[in-house]
Amino acid sequence: METFNDDEIIAEFVVESKEHLADVESKLLAIEAAGADVDLDLVNEVFRAVHSIKGAAGFLGFATLGQLAHELENILNRIRNRELIPDASVTNAMLKASDTLSAMIEDIQHSNEVDISEQLAALEKIVAGELAEDRVATTGAGTNTNMGAEKGAEAVPADTPEKSSNKGKSSSRRSAKASTPKATADSADEPSGEPVAKTPRKRSRKTNGKTTRKTARKTTETASRKPTARSAEKAANNTQDLSEKTTSAVSAEGTKQAESVSTPAPSAKPPVNTGRSQASGSNTKMSIRVAVGVLDRLMNLAGELVLARNQLLQAVASTNSGSLDGVAARLDQVTSELHEAIMQARMQPVGTVFNKFPRVVRDLSSTLQKQCQLKVEGSEVELDKSIIEAIGDPLTHLVRNAVDHGIESPDRRVAAGKPAVGTITLRAFHQAGKVNISISDDGAGIDVAKLKEKAVSRGLLTPEQIAEMSDREALRLIFHPGFSTAEKVTDVSGRGVGMDVVKTNIEKLGGTVDIETQVGRGTTIHVKLPLTLAIVPSLIVRCGKGRFAIPQTNIRELVRIKRRDGAKRIERVKDAEVLRLRGKLLPLVRLCKALGVDRAAEQHERSAVTIVVVEAGHLQYGLIVDGLHDSEEIVVKPLGRHMQNSRILAGATILGDGQVALILDVTGIASHCKLALPKDEEQVGDQESADDSSVDIQTSLLVTNHPDEQFAIPMEAISRMERVRTDQIDSVGGLDVLQYRGTSLPLLSLEKYIHAKPRAETSKVYIVVFSVLNREVGLIVPHLVDIRKISTEVDMVTFREPGVIGSVEIDGRATRLLDLYELTKRAHPEWFTEENNTGVADAVGPASLQQGESPKPLILLAEDSTFFRKQVAGYLEEAGYEVIACEDGQIAWHTLQERGEDFDVVVTDIEMPNMDGCQLAQHIKGDPSLSHLPIIALTSLAGEDDMQRGMESGIDDYQVKLDRERLMAAVARYLREGAARRLRDSTSGTDGQGGTAAVGRRSQP
Amino acid sequence: MNTTEQTDPTIRTESETEYVTFCVDDLLLGVEIDRVDEINRRVDVTPVPHAPPFVCGVLNLRGEVVTVVDLRMILGRSPADSQRATRTLIVRSKGEQIGLRVDEIADVVRARRSEIDPVPSNLGGTEGRYFEGVHKLESELLIILDIDAALT
Repeated sequence: METFNDDEIIAEFVVESKEHLADVESKLLAIEAAGADVDLDLVNEVFRAVHSIKGAAGFLGFATLGQLAHELENILNRIRNRELIPDASVTNAMLKASDTLSAMIEDIQHSNEVDISEQLAALEKIVAGELAEDRVATTGAGTNTNMGAEKGAEAVPADTPEKSSNKGKSSSRRSAKASTPKATADSADEPSGEPVAKTPRKRSRKTNGKTTRKTARKTTETASRKPTARSAEKAANNTQDLSEKTTSAVSAEGTKQAESVSTPAPSAKPPVNTGRSQASGSNTKMSIRVAVGVLDRLMNLAGELVLARNQLLQAVASTNSGSLDGVAARLDQVTSELHEAIMQARMQPVGTVFNKFPRVVRDLSSTLQKQCQLKVEGSEVELDKSIIEAIGDPLTHLVRNAVDHGIESPDRRVAAGKPAVGTITLRAFHQAGKVNISISDDGAGIDVAKLKEKAVSRGLLTPEQIAEMSDREALRLIFHPGFSTAEKVTDVSGRGVGMDVVKTNIEKLGGTVDIETQVGRGTTIHVKLPLTLAIVPSLIVRCGKGRFAIPQTNIRELVRIKRRDGAKRIERVKDAEVLRLRGKLLPLVRLCKALGVDRAAEQHERSAVTIVVVEAGHLQYGLIVDGLHDSEEIVVKPLGRHMQNSRILAGATILGDGQVALILDVTGIASHCKLALPKDEEQVGDQESADDSSVDIQTSLLVTNHPDEQFAIPMEAISRMERVRTDQIDSVGGLDVLQYRGTSLPLLSLEKYIHAKPRAETSKVYIVVFSVLNREVGLIVPHLVDIRKISTEVDMVTFREPGVIGSVEIDGRATRLLDLYELTKRAHPEWFTEENNTGVADAVGPASLQQGESPKPLILLAEDSTFFRKQVAGYLEEAGYEVIACEDGQIAWHTLQERGEDFDVVVTDIEMPNMDGCQLAQHIKGDPSLSHLPIIALTSLAGEDDMQRGMESGIDDYQVKLDRERLMAAVARYLREGAARRLRDSTSGTDGQGGTAAVGRRSQP
Repeated sequence: MNTTEQTDPTIRTESETEYVTFCVDDLLLGVEIDRVDEINRRVDVTPVPHAPPFVCGVLNLRGEVVTVVDLRMILGRSPADSQRATRTLIVRSKGEQIGLRVDEIADVVRARRSEIDPVPSNLGGTEGRYFEGVHKLESELLIILDIDAALT
């Protein structure tokens, strides 16, 4: 058989066939999923697609292709007639056939040389095997019709191609049209395939006897189909339905009948499943096919136009010519819109990538003998073509990983109480100008401990390094080159390479990857992508004499620090510079240094430092630049091959003035400068604060109640911890108690008193025992996380409520700091009423004192940490004292010098800038007019050495900062002593007993 | 002629080829005129941090960003003196436009393929691998540059 050799027509056929096949895969999978409950529309759609290929292949002389399509069509026909249930093996054969079809179409000129005998045999076996069984019950008439139909169909490839190809060859395009009716006549009794005839079985039932009309119809249909093979009109595209396309061609010829026949077709479709058909229908009318090259060229030209516009605007601005302004503005606007429109033309739904995953999941899970279903959300989210093309591989890898590493084997799932079928969810959505794609599985999750072990055993990290690592950070080891979590290395995804490549590839696109996991619950990978690569709004910065562009998507904020403040805000930790920004330490990079650019000497005299805070994945850092220029929309141009390996540059662009500016790759700069991960950044902070007394550290127990919510409890407040079975907890009158050492310990559940999710169900829980008002109370905690030193830079606003002091971020988790005193007060307000209060405050507190002394006792509080200052002042004020709070010893000392006589007690922190607590104490004790003042020192953790030093400098008592009760008791005690002393003084006239006297009398309650 | 053709497989055609010739340090070099898109006088080159030392930078060639390399550096000579008037040849190599910074442009020379001799082993030292062949002119030796090799 000769091959039709009009290249243009063949090219058209190839494109069209690819479109037909594009959806076939997913539809076959859907057909398989439906099983015996055949979705006729779906089957028909596939049937039509295959049929179209068969028809055109025959016409163009691609016999092998036609043969395979024909055999596939036969199977589909049987499924459609409910004679064959599309089980896995049938679907496998069909998928394989469609793969082969795709491959053959890809290399169409050699398609006739492909050996498909094996596949044909397999397909024939399916058809024949099932025929023999003939087990499916359809109406006899129906079956007959279809048997007949099959015969007719078989005749087609043998018949039509020769004739039509002969004609096609011998005639021009125009004359080929004339030949169509004859070709039609040959295949007139071919059953179906066109959308109009898509339910031939139904119709044959319903229109029994109306043979004449039926034949007439078919004739037209086929007539209308034939010209399509040559696809006279290139405009109509994206069509699945050849005949829909041809409608216009036929009607153009004036065949009214054709119109009347094909128009009812859509309405003949049942309303079910119309979403897809409608979409494809509207595409037919609203879109044309454009070569990608043309689009790319348009894109480039639009980029040039944008640049030319920028130049023009600059020129116009400098000439100050009124008449030009309007024109320039108009040009500006039109250019922007044109550019947007062209960008829009390049956008493609992410579904084009997602579509291949059902097959991937299906094949892989059957290979691995797992059961997985894939849920896809947000297929319609659009991304630039270039990104769509680039994310295919990384996403495939992630999906394969989810099946291979994520989802467990069915029996293991069942054993874990999960459904046997694992679910992988692929979700795309817009967020903050970026497209997020998440791949979640409900599988085993990732065991971080195992990861850590592996990292050590593979020598990637030392045990010490691992020990310092947070879970979140350890999880990111997955992206380390040469890491695989599967216990066995499989040929599927566990080759020990991959995630690092995935990460690199996504970051190359300007995106980020992150991972989240919960053992037993599954893993989610988050991929964030920019919408487009081609045009990027960027900030132009200056460094030395050069200008560089930083994409706006990387920029978090701009910080400008006056030179004289610079010293305070920019600090050095070892060799690195850091910026103190809203309580966080931000690593700094001097751009000139990173780029190796010479800075002119004058730069050093500048009055301010400009810092661009950028975000590279999870890492934020500050880039110190020499100056800022405008924001510009820049067209990204690739750098030549000699600079391809540059880590720090993402490309180049041409600025409005025609100069080239290089685009910075902030991720590359971070790695070039070996900037630490966020965790290390925290460590830097820790080290720093160890030297710097201005940041306080609080040792806290981290716990979770519900696994999603983390809480911190100050260690000092905790008496001890018990581990008990939940069935040991009694509920008495709505209150939980634990029978314990002969008494009952009242228990608190967090969710009852603060806004917290309910406690995780566990068989055993921890009881964190603490004491309030000389009573022991236990807090029920299902899970202990860690004991950590946490910074006391606490957000005291966001989560503040009675029982919660505030929140701090620990390892990226918002962690609420609990106030056990307040919590108990919420739980048992009756304990805190005056009658019942056996505590100290009322017994010796201001209430009793006030009877004698008219004003409230005045307390001087020196504390540099805002958090503790507020906390302690709050306690004291709540107890009825007046408090003057000072930020450091120096200020406290000044305050004392001004109105020292007014104070009754000094409460001071030890570690403070400018003047520490010991120095303050020495000053106080050294001043005769103040030396009588009792001094209570507050520490986070009282060490023996510190205490000794404190006592020597005149400190009377030590209290732990957050131990509210004891602090209150101490304050009350010294106040009472003070009052007693004053009473004594007024009678005896002696003074200056000071510390020793107080210490000596400290034993009384 | 025929015998030469058989002995030297590099000879494909007997028609004359035109070479753009130029000076780099003490060398007279030539590249096929078909490979040369244009010759520019002083161009505004933006230096590229972290680029290989022989890369002068990039220039804006009507909207395309083109790499400019210093042939002196590639050929192991001292770097071009930025004060001196230099020329930039825009050539095509592996589908990319690249600017070659040279000292000055000389004539266009015609030569037959058969007049191009293999590179003498004593010429050019290690940089000899960038030379495709030599052509004897009356007074000097024209070295034919293998652009693709020189620009790898």
